[in-house]
Amino acid sequence: MTSGLSLAAAGINANVWVVALAGAISFGVPLVLAALGEILAERSGVLNLGVEGMMLVGAVSAFLVADATHSPWLAILAAVAAAAALAAVHAFLCVTLRANQIVSGLALVIFGGGLARFVGSSVEGQPRGAEIDPLRIPVLADLPVLGRVLFQQDVAVYATVVVTALVALYIVRTRPGLALRAVGESPATADAAGVSVARVRYLHVILGGGLAGAGASYTMLVLVPSWNGSATTDGIGWIALALVVFASWRPWRALAGAVIFGFALRANFTLQAAGITAVPAEILSMLPYLLTIVVLIALAPTAVRRRAGAPSALGAPYVRDER
Amino acid sequence: MILGSYEVLLEQRTDVRRSSAFIVPIASILGALVIAGVFLWLTGRPALSVYARLVRDGYGSWYSISDTLGQATPLILTGLAAAFAFRMNLYNIGGEGQLYAGAIGASWAGLAIAPHVSGPIAVVVVLLAGMLGGVLWIVIPAIARAFLNTSEIVTTLLFNYVALFLMQYLIFGSSSFWRDPDSKNFPQGKPLPDVAHFPTLHFPRDIAGLDFPSGVTSIHLGFGVAILAIIGTWFLQQRTSFGFDMKVVGSSERAARYAGIPIRRTVIAVLLISGGLAGLAGAGEVGGRAYALDPNGLVLGLGYTGIVVAALSRYNPFAVGLVAVLLAGLRTGADALQGATGPLRVPVAIAFMLEGAILLAALGGEVFRRNRLVVRRIREAPA
Repeated sequence: MTSGLSLAAAGINANVWVVALAGAISFGVPLVLAALGEILAERSGVLNLGVEGMMLVGAVSAFLVADATHSPWLAILAAVAAAAALAAVHAFLCVTLRANQIVSGLALVIFGGGLARFVGSSVEGQPRGAEIDPLRIPVLADLPVLGRVLFQQDVAVYATVVVTALVALYIVRTRPGLALRAVGESPATADAAGVSVARVRYLHVILGGGLAGAGASYTMLVLVPSWNGSATTDGIGWIALALVVFASWRPWRALAGAVIFGFALRANFTLQAAGITAVPAEILSMLPYLLTIVVLIALAPTAVRRRAGAPSALGAPYVRDER
Repeated sequence: MILGSYEVLLEQRTDVRRSSAFIVPIASILGALVIAGVFLWLTGRPALSVYARLVRDGYGSWYSISDTLGQATPLILTGLAAAFAFRMNLYNIGGEGQLYAGAIGASWAGLAIAPHVSGPIAVVVVLLAGMLGGVLWIVIPAIARAFLNTSEIVTTLLFNYVALFLMQYLIFGSSSFWRDPDSKNFPQGKPLPDVAHFPTLHFPRDIAGLDFPSGVTSIHLGFGVAILAIIGTWFLQQRTSFGFDMKVVGSSERAARYAGIPIRRTVIAVLLISGGLAGLAGAGEVGGRAYALDPNGLVLGLGYTGIVVAALSRYNPFAVGLVAVLLAGLRTGADALQGATGPLRVPVAIAFMLEGAILLAALGGEVFRRNRLVVRRIREAPA
């Protein structure tokens, strides 16, 4: 905080902070997409800790397809499909076989990470074959500050806002969204009302995986220059999991939280650009993880969580009681 | 689930057959080999020859067995760390970071204290400092879990990244105590004095049939510590009142409260012990293998593999030992494959892919151990 003050006092170019804000939005994209996916899965009652693994598999798929086709759109599609396929494994283990959701999620992280590094090892460090270019929205892009922050982003950023709106509307305002909430809160009741618990859970776990894959493709096509093994996503899948708690399982809050976490993820660049080098880069790199830990601890007490709206049936497999 | 005129369901077994304790793991490994084989085949590699080579280089000679036991040493400890906490539903997945913290603590003790004391004491100090490092690294998640009910899963995991960056800072930071001032080109950890090196098992050359040109093995004091830790955790779980408390808290907090068992104290103690075990793994890596805070140690993923070890051994300490040796052989073999030529040259990540696949297959298999798949014809089948 002293650095911010001394910065203002020194009258250093305010541009740095405008760029930082624009960057925070961009870095928030994979976070919010993955968090939206996890919100869908958890709202159906399935905890999927495998986000990091799904994102690594998504990112490497995006890289390989971009390399082969030079099309960012096919790359995104590949990432969505690959991550959704991995999520389907989790759904099968947790919904059909009623395996331990925590261990299955961890298995997804280890398997997904290993698989991604295995298929990606031959292209490690090479430049990517396609990317998503930023747009300039006519007129608005020339606004001072706001223009740079909001109207010179790429199309994926705007699409992400649309996706957030769609997910929010879907959960609260549609019939399938109602079924989703019912299954997550009280699967037995939903079952009695004729909703197929298994189908709803499969659908949303797989959909959630697809969104994590979409987020990973953005990381690959915009945020990092090359495939770099597990350092490509560097734990943002885990931060996304914390973001879900931070957002109390609500899509719009996840979007807002993603910008805050995105800001922390970029703190390194921002302070370097501002000419502040007193804090070593490695220490600054800890910031997003430490921030996430602090947020989790602050939001922890069970009473707060309950008010915050954690799905009641989260983590519990559903067994219909038949006699 | 209904398929045509048949109904398929999982029915809980009333009796779990003992033989299934062996059949399921073996089936899981075979299943994993098939899954990984698909990806080997897709990338144009002969899966069967790769596996044959993996087994040969992992377990096929006295050399590779020595390497495998050396690799198994940290895996036994991180495996125990995970198993000890997981069995009471405390998911410490921060073994990786606790191992780094242990390595930092151990190398500090080796550099700062060891030169001033005599041999055996120096080694003990390195071990204790490693354990303490691991314990310190889990203190915050443990307290938050016990008093605020913060999920330890994500907090312990996030601390892995913090530890990773801390370790990088300590090695690459120009004014760091841990950095070797003599290495000008690539930053390296300062080498530990000889007095802090763990003793290593030596074979006399003339033991019948053993082929150790130098007589030196990769088996160091840490392996003995790991074996003691297996016995120690088993004893703690099975033969002490603390072990009983653990069991009760793990299965039902409400029952524990009625029984007057101090829940918070038990939770914190279990997590701290878990962190200490992972820290010991870090001490072993520093004192027995790298002899410095090693920048190459950053990518090993030993803590994550510990989770796989724990899950596959179903949290039994003795099984942890066996599974750790099995997975260590996979790593030794994969290391060798990475250096091979031609189509048998396989990225070392195959070890991680296989580990994950084995765990996924075992999770599926475990269900079939406890349940029976029932296929029934539905009585009123559609005509």
